[in-house]
Amino acid sequence: MIPDLLTDKKYLFAAGANTELRAQRNLNRRVVLLNGNLVNNVQTDQFGVSARVYENGVYGFSSTGEYSEETVKDVLKAASENAAFLAGHAGRGKGPHKPMPAARRFTAYDLANVEQKTYIAFAQALDAYIAEKYPDLLSRTIVATADSMEKLLCVSNGADGHSVLPRSYVYIIMTAATPDGKPVELYKVLGGYGTFDRNFRDPKDCYAAIDALYDRVRQKAEGVYPEAGNKTVILGGILSGMLAHEAVGHTVEADLVIGGSVAGPNLGKRVGSDLVNLVDFAHTAFGKPTPLPIHVDDEGTEATDAVLIRDGILTGYMNSRETAERFGMVPTGNARAFLFSDEPLIRMRNTAVLPGTSKLEDMIASIDDGYYLTDTNNGQADTTGEFMFGVTFGYEIKNGKLARPLLDTTISGVAFEMLKTVDMISDEMIWASSGMCGKKQPMPVGMGGPAIKCRVTIGGR
Amino acid sequence: MIETLKQTAKKVLDALQNEGAEQSETTVTYTVTHEFNVDGGAFSLFRTLFDKKLTMSGITAGKRGTVSQNRWDDATVAESAKACMDAANASMPDDAWQIAPLTKNEDFTLGEVRPDLDRLFMRCRELMDTIRDRFPKIIMEQMIVSHRERFEVKANSNGVLFSTHGGSYEAMLMYSAHEGEKASSFFGGGVITDNLDKPFIACGSIETDLENVEKQIETESVEGKFEGTMVLMPGCAGELIGGMLMNFAGEQGLLSGTSPWKEKLGEPVADERLTVSIAPLDERIVCGERYTDEGFPAKNYDIIRNGRLEAFALGLYASNKLGLARAENDSYNMIVAPGDKPLSEIIASIDRGILVGRFSGGQPASNGDFSGVAKNSFLIENGRIGSALAETMISGNLAEMLRRVRAISKETVAEGMTVLPYLAFDGITVSGK
Repeated sequence: MIPDLLTDKKYLFAAGANTELRAQRNLNRRVVLLNGNLVNNVQTDQFGVSARVYENGVYGFSSTGEYSEETVKDVLKAASENAAFLAGHAGRGKGPHKPMPAARRFTAYDLANVEQKTYIAFAQALDAYIAEKYPDLLSRTIVATADSMEKLLCVSNGADGHSVLPRSYVYIIMTAATPDGKPVELYKVLGGYGTFDRNFRDPKDCYAAIDALYDRVRQKAEGVYPEAGNKTVILGGILSGMLAHEAVGHTVEADLVIGGSVAGPNLGKRVGSDLVNLVDFAHTAFGKPTPLPIHVDDEGTEATDAVLIRDGILTGYMNSRETAERFGMVPTGNARAFLFSDEPLIRMRNTAVLPGTSKLEDMIASIDDGYYLTDTNNGQADTTGEFMFGVTFGYEIKNGKLARPLLDTTISGVAFEMLKTVDMISDEMIWASSGMCGKKQPMPVGMGGPAIKCRVTIGGR
Repeated sequence: MIETLKQTAKKVLDALQNEGAEQSETTVTYTVTHEFNVDGGAFSLFRTLFDKKLTMSGITAGKRGTVSQNRWDDATVAESAKACMDAANASMPDDAWQIAPLTKNEDFTLGEVRPDLDRLFMRCRELMDTIRDRFPKIIMEQMIVSHRERFEVKANSNGVLFSTHGGSYEAMLMYSAHEGEKASSFFGGGVITDNLDKPFIACGSIETDLENVEKQIETESVEGKFEGTMVLMPGCAGELIGGMLMNFAGEQGLLSGTSPWKEKLGEPVADERLTVSIAPLDERIVCGERYTDEGFPAKNYDIIRNGRLEAFALGLYASNKLGLARAENDSYNMIVAPGDKPLSEIIASIDRGILVGRFSGGQPASNGDFSGVAKNSFLIENGRIGSALAETMISGNLAEMLRRVRAISKETVAEGMTVLPYLAFDGITVSGK
């Protein structure tokens, strides 16, 4: 655990300013086997301390990769000087943030650092299984990876905290040939919150997922391009989770609202059908821990759920302490930093469309001509809410039944228009947590959702 | 500082050798970053970062491990060297893992190494004032203006020893245009420069981009679907062609055997007017690499020359593995040779097409198929730039597209990292709602 060199420096915090001190360590492991060749065998460790000071409406920040009694004082001094420089040139005449009750939220979890050989051996076992059982594949890739962040936070007002966020995954990527010899690719991610040794005890536990992936990539190799146009589709949970994150979530981050996102003029207005509910969960959802639980953010705000859409009405934003004051909202703990050298930004945590009451089979049966889209490899959205998702697998729906599998395609729409077309939502949802959200900094995020029936524009070839 | 880094590099190579490395390499860097942030149109943050980075790799009996971390005290170096060689020993042998031979060592000083912070702040404020006065519809979601001073040493057990002391300024902007409740798509762009002689508005394509985005508040969607000409603005051309080169000429596609260009070296893959170079030593590139990540001296090279595939973008491992030549550098400093027609003449020759400022698309499939949304884009009709577009998709195949170049503009944009013209391609499918 990171030793506490921070708490006894509180006497150095300037009166009338908000100050945060944060010591943080990020560990990464990555092993990549490409067609049996170990092309990546890397471990990284980034550790350091930073200080941020809020004065006269602007922030000063400083960080260093050395963590000692002296460097903690150094970054605090440099951050104060930077705040004073900027306040002197471009101060906004504001006082400190509203006070929050003092608290101390420390986790007992110590960060286990699993040895590299564990990742290599596991990846080799999966690769050997695929190489032997499925020699007809054009290529196969196994990625065994883990990342974790440990944070120790000390603030001038609010909650001090210690947190550990470990996650680990195995990516299995297969490429098969179409009948005319063109490559098609599909991947599956296994794993989630927790260290690699706890998530991956026996390679045999992954064999069923490998077999299912092979079956699907073979189907895809025989697939067809969808017919382009505005269509009725069912977005599987991975895609509805991406919709929650990319197309809605980013537009309701308060810094993007200030930057002119579509959520600004739509607060309190209808943005989806009555069926649509969307929440950014902090640490608990549906009585269970969220995929990536956050208890205290990096400004010392105790994390609670941010309800963003309730019964189709846009009800709130995700905030930092500063933006919450600007919008007259209660901050819910969304200010998060990726590395010790990063300042907290407004970030999502575990963002999800809430499940409904329909059965997936009834949803499929209700469509005469449309698509069931299950897999994606990326998504992007605009501050206008216009989104684009790459779709890597799915099926046609013809006369209420699944028909031919699909090749790669793209879907697009405008979130607050598309959500109004949602007329069925399934009663089961799935979470994904392997994603890394990109803003100014990367950030691990969870996203999830049920299957939703709606209309989107689908690209053909 | 460079001397300290050289001593640290020697310490690392010794530690790796003590742990059993037969070949070893390391990169040691120290950076100091000063950064002003503007959020929602107002100054919000001033950061100063002091960052160390130490990366080491060791090879024994063809087995390689790599450790990267941000401390270089004796205890951490010894611990990391042990972890590095433990990882190597746990891996499997592959003779393709080698390190660079000693050629010629050199110390480089590049750019403006020390920041003039008062002038940087002045240029930042000047840009904000210019945008407010000349582009009143623009809301600046975020602007990040920074200077980075970088000390780096690269060394290996063959005696390679390079160093760089460099410094450059960077301005990155993210914004959209607004009128009432109507808004354009957001747009991001920026420049890297080694001096503050010019206002930022006069650098790269910042001014043109702002002008374009202000015209994108009112949008229309294309009716139905048509096949036409796609003109890529320089920044967008760089992203699309850069992504394609990674897919077709990069290590992943070649090592996995899925690249459609795997047998095409020396053959025509594009229109003969197309020449794409990777050129970090070009004078328009700011602080471009002088040696590769593997410790080879960097040289410019053509990846496509007059439409012919001249080289693959391979590092030493992939080069050994595939029996193909190693790339002369590993930068992303792409330069596309200009054509002979002005953009206005190219546009005037197009009956129906689309001028694309940003492509929001799925990752192109390994066979080159791509589809996505044309953002910050305009319709071209009867030789004129028409209305801005929304909800318009474009699709095609990247390999086929390169063979269907209609024109390359005379004008180029140099933003410090790349030098790119406008590129027009025929045969692109454009579809509306």
